[in-house]
Amino acid sequence: MIDQILRRLLISIPVLFGVLFLGFGLLVLVPGDPAIVMAGPTATPEIVAAIRTEMGLDDPVLVQFGTYLGRVLQGDLGRSLISNKTVISELGAAIGPTAELMFACLIWSVPLGIGLGTLAAVSRGSIIDRAIMAISVAGVSLPIFFICLMMIQYLGVQWRLLPFIGRGGPLWTLEGIRHIALPALSLGAIFIGPVARMTRSSVLEVLKLDHVRTARAKGLSETRVILRHGLRNALIPVVTLIGLQVGYLLGGAVVTESIFSFPGIGRLAVGAILSSDFPLAQGTILVLALGFILINMIVDILYSLLDPRVQT
Amino acid sequence: MKRLLMSSALLLVGGIAQAAEITILREVDSNNYDPHKTTSRAASEVLFMMGDTLVSLAPDMQTIDTGVAESWSVSEDGTTYTFNLRQDVQFCDGKPMTAADVVYSINRWVDPETKSPVAWRAGEVDSVTALDDYTVEYKLTAPFSELLYQLTQSFGTIIDQANVEALGDDFGVTGFNGTGPFCWESWAPRDQMVITRHDEYAWGAGFHANTGPASMDRITWQIVPEENTRTVGVITGQTQVTQYVPYIALEQLKASPGVEVVQSDLAFWTYYMGFKIDKETVSDPAVRRAINLAVDQAAMSEDLFFGVVQPAYSYVSQEALDWNAGLDDKLLKFDPAQANAILDEAGWEMGDDGVRGKDGVRLAPTAYVFAGSTWGKISEAVQAYLREIGVDMQIQAFDATVAWGKLATQEFDMYGMSFPYVSSGDALNLYFRSQNAPSPNRMNWIDDKTDALLLAGATSVTDEGRAEAYGEVLEMVHDAAVWLPLYHEPMVIAQSTDLETVVPHNIYGAGLYKGLDLKYKE
Repeated sequence: MIDQILRRLLISIPVLFGVLFLGFGLLVLVPGDPAIVMAGPTATPEIVAAIRTEMGLDDPVLVQFGTYLGRVLQGDLGRSLISNKTVISELGAAIGPTAELMFACLIWSVPLGIGLGTLAAVSRGSIIDRAIMAISVAGVSLPIFFICLMMIQYLGVQWRLLPFIGRGGPLWTLEGIRHIALPALSLGAIFIGPVARMTRSSVLEVLKLDHVRTARAKGLSETRVILRHGLRNALIPVVTLIGLQVGYLLGGAVVTESIFSFPGIGRLAVGAILSSDFPLAQGTILVLALGFILINMIVDILYSLLDPRVQT
Repeated sequence: MKRLLMSSALLLVGGIAQAAEITILREVDSNNYDPHKTTSRAASEVLFMMGDTLVSLAPDMQTIDTGVAESWSVSEDGTTYTFNLRQDVQFCDGKPMTAADVVYSINRWVDPETKSPVAWRAGEVDSVTALDDYTVEYKLTAPFSELLYQLTQSFGTIIDQANVEALGDDFGVTGFNGTGPFCWESWAPRDQMVITRHDEYAWGAGFHANTGPASMDRITWQIVPEENTRTVGVITGQTQVTQYVPYIALEQLKASPGVEVVQSDLAFWTYYMGFKIDKETVSDPAVRRAINLAVDQAAMSEDLFFGVVQPAYSYVSQEALDWNAGLDDKLLKFDPAQANAILDEAGWEMGDDGVRGKDGVRLAPTAYVFAGSTWGKISEAVQAYLREIGVDMQIQAFDATVAWGKLATQEFDMYGMSFPYVSSGDALNLYFRSQNAPSPNRMNWIDDKTDALLLAGATSVTDEGRAEAYGEVLEMVHDAAVWLPLYHEPMVIAQSTDLETVVPHNIYGAGLYKGLDLKYKE
C-alpha cells in the first residue's frame, strides 16, 4: 500500500509541473499587465516600465517560469498584487470554506445518488426508474449557474427559507450550516445524476452475476441480497466515478462560490484572474491542481481497498 | 436585596439586548485601505467611516464643515492655513489625536517616497508644522483655492504614525488605527470588511443628525459581485443597504415591501467620451461639435438607465461649485439635422458606404472603452447615433486591468471614462492641465491659456476670482467640444425600511459617508 502511495506521489510530480507550466503560460498569454495593476490607474508609462523591470516581466517567459518555479519549491508563492497579503495566507483562508462546501455537498448527494440509482435498478422499467433517470438527466444537463439561480429564486427569495449571501461561519455553527445549505444543494444537484446513473447500471450488472443468484437461492431476503451482495460489489465503478466527479466539482465550485459570494478557492481564483493578480491566480491554480491530484490518489487507494485485485 | 434584583434584571436585559449590526453589499473590494496608496472608491467608502479628515463636506457638496479641526483661518495671501484642532479626538486604540498626527499624515501623503497617486490634491506644500499640540500650520508655496475641498477627501485621512510604522507594508491591509466613527475589526480581501463602533466618537460634523457615537455596533461590508444577488439580497432582508443595484431593478425594489430607495438630487459622477484632439479624425472642431449634437443623452438616460441618471451636456454637474452658469444656454443638445449641416459645411462628404470623409480621411474614429455592460451599452448607443450622421465609430473594449494602460497611449481617437469630483476646479485641474497629458489629459489638450487660467483659479484667494478663472476654462473647453458628455450619475441607495432613511452623499461616490446616519428605527 505504501509503495502504491509513493508511486502515485512520484507520478504526480510531472503532472504538477505540467499544470504549473500551463497555468503560468496561460496567465502570460491573457491580456493584462501586473505592472499596471501594481502601479495603479494614474501611473505614468515610466513608472509602469520601472515596475516591469523590477518584477522581471521583461525577462523571457521561460526565465520568468524558472524563477517562479524556484520560489514555489522554496514554499514562496509571493504576495497578492491587490491586497499585498501573502498568497499562502490568502489560500489558507479560502481552502477551509471550499473543503466545507465539498463536504456539505458530498454528504447528502453521494448517499442520495447511490440510493436513487439502486432504487432505479431494482425497479427497472417502472415509473420510479423512469422518474429517477429523468431527474438524473436533468441534473447532468442543467448548467450549474442555472441551478444556483433557481435555488436563490425559490429557496432564497420566494420562500425565504435559506440565506444565499456569504458564509455565515464555520460548518459546525448554525449560521454556517444555514449559509452553506444552498451552495451545497446546488453543487450536489449536479452530482446526483452521474452517481445515480452509474449506480443503476452497475447494480443491474452485478444483480445478474452468479453469486447473487446463489445468495437468492440460499433464501436471503431481497434487501439483504441487494445491499450486501449487489450494491457492495457494484460500488467499485461508482467510487471511481465519484473521484473523477469530485475533481469536476472543484470547477463547479468556482461558479457556485461566485454566485453565492462564498469565500472559497473558486471565488478567489475568479477574482484573482479578473484583477490580473497573477501570483494569487497561479497559487489558486496550484491548489486546485493539488486538490485534483489528491482526490485521484484517494480514489485509487479506496479502489484497491474495495477490490484487492487492483493491488496485484 | 431589592438592589440585587434590580441589578440582575438590568444585567439580564443588557445581556439579551441585540447588538445593532448591519450588512452593506458592494460590488468590488479595494486593493488596500491605506489612504495614500489607493484611489479606489471601495477604499474611500470604508476610510470615511474609519477615519477623519481635517474638514468635512456637507451633502450639498459646497459647504465645508468641521472635521478634526474645529476652526481654521487662511492668510491674506492664501498660502498659510492655520487649523485649530478639537481636543477630544481619540484614535480607536484610545490614544489622543494631536497636531503631530496631522503633521505626520499630511507629510506622508505628499512625501515622494509614499508614491501617492493623488499627492497633488494636497497642494504645493511648503511645510506642515505643529504650532502646539492642537494647532497646525499648513503652508503652501502658492495659494490653492481647492485645498479645503481636497482635504475633505479620504486621501486626507488622519493616520497614526505608530500604527503605520508597526504594520509597515501591512498598514491598511491587516489593520488601521483611525479616529472615525468605526474601527477596523477584520478584512478578508474580496470577501468582507468588518468594522465596529468607536464608542468614544463624538466629533461628527454638525450637518449629521447624529454627531456620534454611531448607532450601529458593527458594520460588515460584504462583496457580492453578482448584481442580481445584490438585488434580491436587499429584497429578502439579507442585507440592509447597498448603493450597487442595477437601474433595471429599481422599480422592482421600490415596489418591494421592506425596501426604500433614496436618491440624491445631486450627481457628481460624470460619464463622458473624450476626443484626442490631435488625431486627424477628430481634430476638426466641427466634427466634435457634430458628434455632440448627434447623441441624444436624454433618450439614453431613459432607455439605457431607466431615467435614473441625469443626461449630461456639461462636463461637470451644473450644481458643482464654480460651474459657469453663463454656459447653460450654450450647451450642445441633440440636433442631428444641425450635426449633418455642420459636417456638410466643414467639407466632410458622405461616402457611398454612408461614412463621411475629407482629404482622404475616413470619419471612423477608434474608441477605447472599458469592457462590461455599462460601457458596452453606452458605446453601442453612441455608435448607433453617430452612424446617423456618417461617423463610423469603431469600439474597442478592454478589461479594466488592461484599459488603464491602453488609455495612457496615443493609439485611440476617442475614449470612454467616468470620474467623481467635488467641484469644477477638481475636475478641470485633473483633466485639462497640459502637464497631465497623455494621462489623465488623454485629449492632449495642450494650451498655455488654459494652464494660466487653471493656475489663476487654483491660486485665487477669493471665491469670485476662482469662479471666474474656472468659468473661463469651462467655456473654452465646451466651445472646443473636447468631450462628449453623456450623463451625471446620482447617488442611489437601496435600504431596508427597518432603518431610518439615510442621507445620500456624493463625495467620491461614497454614498454613506461617515455612516453616522445608519440607524434602526426605534
